[in-house]
Amino acid sequence: MRRYVQSPGSVGEFSQLPLWQRAATLDLVYVGYGLLVVALVLASYLLGALGWLPHDPQAMNVGLINAAPFTPGHLLGTDFLGRDLQARLILGIQAYFLPGLLAVTISVVAGSVLGILAGYRGGWFDTIITYFDNLLDSFPRLVLILLVIASFKPDIYYVMVVVGITGMPVIANLIAGKIAFLRQKSFIEAAHALGLPARTVILKHILWLNCRALLVIQATLGMAEAILVETSLSYLGFGVQEPTPSWGNMVQAGANYFLQGNFWPSTAPALAILATILGFQLLGDGLNNLLEGKRRK
Amino acid sequence: MDAPLLAIENLRTYFYSRAKRAFIRSVDGVSLGVTRGETLGIVGESGSGKSVTALSAAGLVTAGPGVISGRIHLHSNGAARNLLDGLEKYARVTEQDGRVVAVQKDERGWRKHSETLMAGVRGKEIAMIFQNPRSALNPYSTIGKQLVETIRLHTSLKRESEARERAIHWLERVRIDSPRLRFDNFPYGMSGGMCQRAMIAMALSAEPSLLIADEPTTGLDATIQSRIVDLLAELKAETGITTLLISHDISVIQRLSDRIAVMYGGTVVETGRAAEVLAPEATARHPYTAALLASIPSAETIRRKSYLQAIEGEVLDTIEVPRGCRFYGRCNRVTDAIRENCAGIEPPLAEIAPGHKVRCWLYPAAEKA
Repeated sequence: MRRYVQSPGSVGEFSQLPLWQRAATLDLVYVGYGLLVVALVLASYLLGALGWLPHDPQAMNVGLINAAPFTPGHLLGTDFLGRDLQARLILGIQAYFLPGLLAVTISVVAGSVLGILAGYRGGWFDTIITYFDNLLDSFPRLVLILLVIASFKPDIYYVMVVVGITGMPVIANLIAGKIAFLRQKSFIEAAHALGLPARTVILKHILWLNCRALLVIQATLGMAEAILVETSLSYLGFGVQEPTPSWGNMVQAGANYFLQGNFWPSTAPALAILATILGFQLLGDGLNNLLEGKRRK
Repeated sequence: MDAPLLAIENLRTYFYSRAKRAFIRSVDGVSLGVTRGETLGIVGESGSGKSVTALSAAGLVTAGPGVISGRIHLHSNGAARNLLDGLEKYARVTEQDGRVVAVQKDERGWRKHSETLMAGVRGKEIAMIFQNPRSALNPYSTIGKQLVETIRLHTSLKRESEARERAIHWLERVRIDSPRLRFDNFPYGMSGGMCQRAMIAMALSAEPSLLIADEPTTGLDATIQSRIVDLLAELKAETGITTLLISHDISVIQRLSDRIAVMYGGTVVETGRAAEVLAPEATARHPYTAALLASIPSAETIRRKSYLQAIEGEVLDTIEVPRGCRFYGRCNRVTDAIRENCAGIEPPLAEIAPGHKVRCWLYPAAEKA
């Protein structure tokens, strides 16, 4: 059975309803979960940065290796050297948090600039950006990253600059497409006719009012991507090196004991990766549906 | 007499067709004057160059080569300026026996210089309203915010609260019901007519000297069209704003204009007082104007169930402009006496009565001019 209820307030004022009343429940669940993950990651990052950990992440306890969760004193158990998994998981966030932000900032800022140049100026800017996009698309990202690591040094910030640059064309294309779409409507021309300076038209009317949702969505998706790249590299041994913990190298270290029945030390960080990336992805998806109106109740 | 508020002299705005490697002579030597306080209506079929003339005056032509020559004088606030001043040096026009065969234009230099000339003019002195008002407003911002933005940009009201009050005042003046509520509406929550009212409020809120209304009723349905026309007439009576009205709808032009310019194929073929040009009994007029008037369905023709009288032939494509009169191919009033002239020499815009000019060989004044 469905209920059809006229909302209080004047008729036809669709936009006046608060966002959460207009949205589909599933999208709210997505966004709610995503925001929870973001809050947890942020809080854990701060805890790690301040050193407020439940346990010393480097303290070994040879008598208590590969302990199961809920062992007294170790809520999430210990790894193969008897180090506390919970503390190491929290500290592992240091490995991707700031580098990930760097990658997202690079791709959003540079992507917006390129997108505006391509969409607003058009002409050969558009051509160059399309070719740049094709070039990056035709080159495996991981190989590019390994190349950078080989030619410079295995520093996560170098890697994230590459991730940021390779994420740029997607955003540039989206913004350019949006501008092309907006151009069909004449309000940009009308804004010029009203005498608004070009800077105001571009920054306020195009980027802020029409593209902000898109940028937020791309930023969350970009963060998920950055985390995935960091953990993959650390897993392969090119990222953060032991004894500094990263979720990737924790999975790798635990994997040696996986088949002996001690699956927990690698499963815990793997689940953390899964939950976090899922959170960022769903946040992006949910926001896309909510803000861009892709799905309506 | 007072100098006209806006005087366009010999304006040429060309575009270029890559496929045909030829110029599209959208506006080809147009001269117009809009006197302070009057409404000049420009009428013509699609493609006659009326909108491009207006866009050129507002410095909004973006495609190349665009405006290539002419002068646009604006006399407002006691100062006279040429909105195309010094732009000649950015465009080198090569002509061969009276025709443009090549244009070399420094587009960037032109645009930069044009922007400096237009600073403080566009939006402030010359405001514009467009057709399809719903797409002329930013869909992601409320009409109130957009109105406040232009008010703060163009008037001395810089404080948010003052600008807000003025915005509501303007929404009221364009007869929007419950303006305080509408202030927070997004464009998609409003009808097309309402959006056009909001656009008019935005254009007028800067208190411009000249309002260019480019097909203000196109894209609206018939009843709304007539309401917008009513509104423009009322605002005109209240504020006395000088208006350049562009429309292909003669009835709109007739209701609002003091003077009329009829355009065909990128040139003005007839100008004069509205009453004279459109008078039903008048005989002295350009054959094109006569044909335009004859093509309007009247109650009489509908009752007699007779066919509409369409104009034979197609609108002149401004790529292949003939040597002689631009209307020659479609004209039904060519006589043997003038045929040679019509086919070979473009007639001048000659005064056939005080203030009434016609570009046609039918009138002896053309021979003298």
